[in-house]
Amino acid sequence: MRLNLILFFVLIIFALALVNVEHQYRNHYSKWDIENKLTIDLKDEKTKLQIEESDKSGNDRVNELAQKKLNMSLPDSKNHRTLK
Amino acid sequence: MFNKAKSSSKFFELSKFRRRFVLLILLTLFTSLISRSFYLQGMQTDFLQKKGQATSNRTETLHAYRGKILDRNNEILAISAPRETIWANPPEDLMNLSQKKELSRLLKLRLEHLEKRLGKKNKQYVYLKRRASPELASKIMALKIPGIRTEKNYDRFYPEREITAHVVGFTNIDGKGQEGIERQANNLLSGIPGYKKVLKDNIGRIVDDLQEVKIPIDGQDIKLSIDKRLQYSAYKALQKSVEKHNALSGSAVLIDAKSGEILSAVNYPSFNPNGGSKPTQKIRNRVFTDIFEPGSTIKPITVSAALESKKFKPTSIIDTEKGFYRVGSRLTVRDTHANGEITLSEVVQKSSNVGTTIISEKLDSKYLWSTLSMFGLGSKTGVEFPGETSGIVHHFKKWRKTEHATISYGYGLSTNLLQLAQAYTVFANDGELVPVTLIKKEDPTIGRRVLSKKTSQIMLKIMESVVSSEGTAPLAKVTGYRVAGKTGTARKIINGTYENKYIGSFVGIAPVSDPRFVFAVMIDEPSNDGYYGGVVAGPVFSKVMADALKLYSIPQDGFVNEKEDIIIADSSQ
Repeated sequence: MRLNLILFFVLIIFALALVNVEHQYRNHYSKWDIENKLTIDLKDEKTKLQIEESDKSGNDRVNELAQKKLNMSLPDSKNHRTLK
Repeated sequence: MFNKAKSSSKFFELSKFRRRFVLLILLTLFTSLISRSFYLQGMQTDFLQKKGQATSNRTETLHAYRGKILDRNNEILAISAPRETIWANPPEDLMNLSQKKELSRLLKLRLEHLEKRLGKKNKQYVYLKRRASPELASKIMALKIPGIRTEKNYDRFYPEREITAHVVGFTNIDGKGQEGIERQANNLLSGIPGYKKVLKDNIGRIVDDLQEVKIPIDGQDIKLSIDKRLQYSAYKALQKSVEKHNALSGSAVLIDAKSGEILSAVNYPSFNPNGGSKPTQKIRNRVFTDIFEPGSTIKPITVSAALESKKFKPTSIIDTEKGFYRVGSRLTVRDTHANGEITLSEVVQKSSNVGTTIISEKLDSKYLWSTLSMFGLGSKTGVEFPGETSGIVHHFKKWRKTEHATISYGYGLSTNLLQLAQAYTVFANDGELVPVTLIKKEDPTIGRRVLSKKTSQIMLKIMESVVSSEGTAPLAKVTGYRVAGKTGTARKIINGTYENKYIGSFVGIAPVSDPRFVFAVMIDEPSNDGYYGGVVAGPVFSKVMADALKLYSIPQDGFVNEKEDIIIADSSQ
């Protein structure tokens, strides 16, 4: 009789533990899912910024800005002065 | 009482009948239910289970990011960017006219066209726009139109477009590498996608997570040895030369002579790797895949073999006669003009075919062949690129007298441009050949000795004279720096015969006092304003090498030639 009681309580404890584990798993899964979505959004945002940065630092753009806005040009041989 | 009993008995008799009747009906119903259940459970289990799972349990793929391809300074050459697919479920279409108008405006679709697509009521998935920007997708979703949904995909984006297209390559619509580094390193870049199991309703909405998940593993980034700035410089210089000389194409490769890293590898014409179809003729990276007869750019190798054999000195006199020389009964070797008696150094400076032939006759075939092989000709460089060719250097046992002669000045063998550039690293590295790579290196490079230090230094001085006003490539000069190199102008062989079409090339090294870069350039079939290597390829070398030396802050060593003057740009003019 006593053994049965003990086994019954053990059963109850295990059942509660199982429910608790299940609950925690759901909780963690839900947190992970939120974090994962956030990570993906941040990664996508980072990608967009990297593309934008790459676009801004593009050789063609820099060249165009230098030539048109800053009136810069490469000196040719006539525009070299030799200092001793 | 009796009557009551009798009627009760009748009632029971009737009741017994009824009971049996009801029992029979129940038994019949029960039997039919059991047999139906047996039929469904026992005979159609697999079919029904599959059917049930297909409409409820779904595996959602979790995207693994494809790794980025970066240049040596962490500049992006290839990246996966988010794109949205906008689609509709026509049976759910509850749009009013103003919503339809707004949607057609955002999608840039004609209203009739949109209505036609939404009219396909027998379909549950109709594309409205693929590869849309996330901004557009969010604007459309903000309209909150029932039946309109978006789906995120990732598209490969190449910010440098034509300039790095041949090296980086491209992927197909499924994100699998098709060409270039994208193909070579596909496994590293791809990563491993994950998944999660979800419960979906019949129109594809996620109802619940089944909490079974496998986390994706993102692909690795790859850092190339390429320098975006030099790639741009080389591409622009090559484009200018190809257009000026109305050539078929051009290719160029710049190597860091100390580490063997490829800083730039370009071809013109190129293609835009972003988006749809690519022209199949233009996607080959000719630096690595196309072989050609190198012509006179081989002469420094022949001459270095002669110096190593101790049979010649730089001052040895070679009689190049009247500009032509008979080899056997079938071959007459010719120079562009008669040079008479010239030194071995001048044979290279004036690019004398006759002189090189006379020198090679003093060397036996096995020795010349092994020297060419030691310089890496006839075998792959081992660069990390798909489809690299090995070139052709026939075994010396197959050489006849004429081949022995022609090979000495660059005909009868073929190389790709990278092999040629790598061969010149021997002169730049005190006689050691360095392995070439497209991946940025962190470890020191171990070379393989091919020539003695003394011979390689003599060869550098000899090749420096090529870039003088008496040599064949004065246009390859770089202001403020000492430069060594060799031109090549080889006739093209088409359908087995040599035609009056040429490949002009130049391979050069700078600065001579402490070589840092080797640059090789070839222009295929120049047909306007000259075709000699010094004319068509020399200026490309000059421009790109000047940029490379400035960008890497290499100290000037050209003071000897410039009477120890300092050269600066005059900003006042």
